[in-house]
Amino acid sequence: MSEKQKYPKMLIWLVAALIVLAAFAAFVVHQANLSRSKISVWGELPDFQFTAAHNGEPFGLEQMKGRLTVVNFIFTNCKSACPIMTPNFAELYKLYKGSEKIQLVSITVDPERDSLPVLREYARAYGVTDDRWVFLWAPTEEVVRLCEQGFMLPADNLPMGHTTKFTLVDCDGAIRSYHEGLDREGMVLLKNNIRQLAGTW
Amino acid sequence: MKAFRRFAIFTTAATYFLIFLGGLVRVSGAGLGCPDWPKCFGRWFPPISYRHLPPEFDPNLFNFSLAWIEFGNRLVGLLVGFLIAVLAVWAIAKYRHAPKILVPSIIAVLLVAFQGWQGGQVVLSELAPFLVSIHLIIAFIIAGLMVYISQQAYYLEFQDTEKEAVYPGWIKNATWLLWLMVIGQVIFGTRIREAIETTIEQFPLVASSEIIGKLGYVKYLHPLWGVAVVVLTWIISYSILKKSRAPSPLAWQSAWTMAGLALLQIVFGLVMIFSGLPEVVQALHLWIAGLMTGMVLIALAVVAHKKER
Repeated sequence: MSEKQKYPKMLIWLVAALIVLAAFAAFVVHQANLSRSKISVWGELPDFQFTAAHNGEPFGLEQMKGRLTVVNFIFTNCKSACPIMTPNFAELYKLYKGSEKIQLVSITVDPERDSLPVLREYARAYGVTDDRWVFLWAPTEEVVRLCEQGFMLPADNLPMGHTTKFTLVDCDGAIRSYHEGLDREGMVLLKNNIRQLAGTW
Repeated sequence: MKAFRRFAIFTTAATYFLIFLGGLVRVSGAGLGCPDWPKCFGRWFPPISYRHLPPEFDPNLFNFSLAWIEFGNRLVGLLVGFLIAVLAVWAIAKYRHAPKILVPSIIAVLLVAFQGWQGGQVVLSELAPFLVSIHLIIAFIIAGLMVYISQQAYYLEFQDTEKEAVYPGWIKNATWLLWLMVIGQVIFGTRIREAIETTIEQFPLVASSEIIGKLGYVKYLHPLWGVAVVVLTWIISYSILKKSRAPSPLAWQSAWTMAGLALLQIVFGLVMIFSGLPEVVQALHLWIAGLMTGMVLIALAVVAHKKER
């Protein structure tokens, strides 16, 4: 073996490569985390006063602050979209059962037929046992106003024309993201964003 | 021969760089940076802004940084696939008489094509943990083939390099054992990663420092097995360095390297256990695991090469 082989040059080269790659990785991971923490703010919710089905008491922006809230629009006689959306909500309800930080809100778009007892029965059917998942009632005009002007979502031809988007509202009452409530991709992203926003507390 | 050896070593280095990028995609959470495959948001180059998204994509899905991290892995993957294809054509044209170069080259080019397709399945499955592990293991096999080809090209060029060397007789079996143990250790490592992913799915709000506590038996098996790997690596390295007569330069270098890498792996493993799985250390731990499999393979091929003549 020649004299110039007398030091472990392969190991030294690999450790040098490791240091360079570690710096590169730190940069990339930092960029990725930065890009995720920038979940944009789409707007602030206006104040509103609806009625919560489980106790008949007023429920509005005040009750949403301090928790992450996912909001959707449903009605109990709905045959097409809601049988997909509500089980997705039930999945979230089960997933976050250990956390008081996250609440779910379903607003009926058919206040004529969805009285408070009807909503309570609907909630029971999906296994709701506490106030982490709230069902809200308000007259049609108020629902339309909140949906269009607050959530910036379409509310034509209610009840059939209700939106299928889930809206994620942060603990300050600001709209952070919209997610398609009918597909898996939307749910994956919603969970990611919840994790992200919950983690920054 | 010299040109072929150099090209093989370059391709090996590129393959290891690609493995690092793949790990980086995983630890930076960019695996779904492009939700479709092989295109990214319906385009061959990812969009710069969500305004350029085709209408069928939800703008919420788009994240510039994550899309380009994922796309970087695909792009470099394509380049490495091209390098390996060139290597295989070269081997078929010039080294039909050397099956130890020809056969692994052909296997590698087939595997790398499969790997590209399988990577697409990983994305389309929304990162199913088992498919992610398969993707890693195929990558390690390809890297191992590249290492083996480079080494055989080296032997073809320097035929006398092992002529004077005499290694202890038991070392061949011991190195075989080490190689199998390293493969086992890689598989246990992927099991840990899978368990972490499943845990995060089930407990979305779990703190990173609490994750390890929620893993099963493998959280004890992986570190204990790791200590055994280090001990055996050091025994073999010590024997090559001190108990052999005139070890070849390759044997000497690989002995030092695997001893050093094994130690680093333990250090990084401990760092991860005690500081809540920092992403950069995860990426390094994975990369060194790939280097370690390649390095033990070199040692194994050294002692096997010696035995044959």
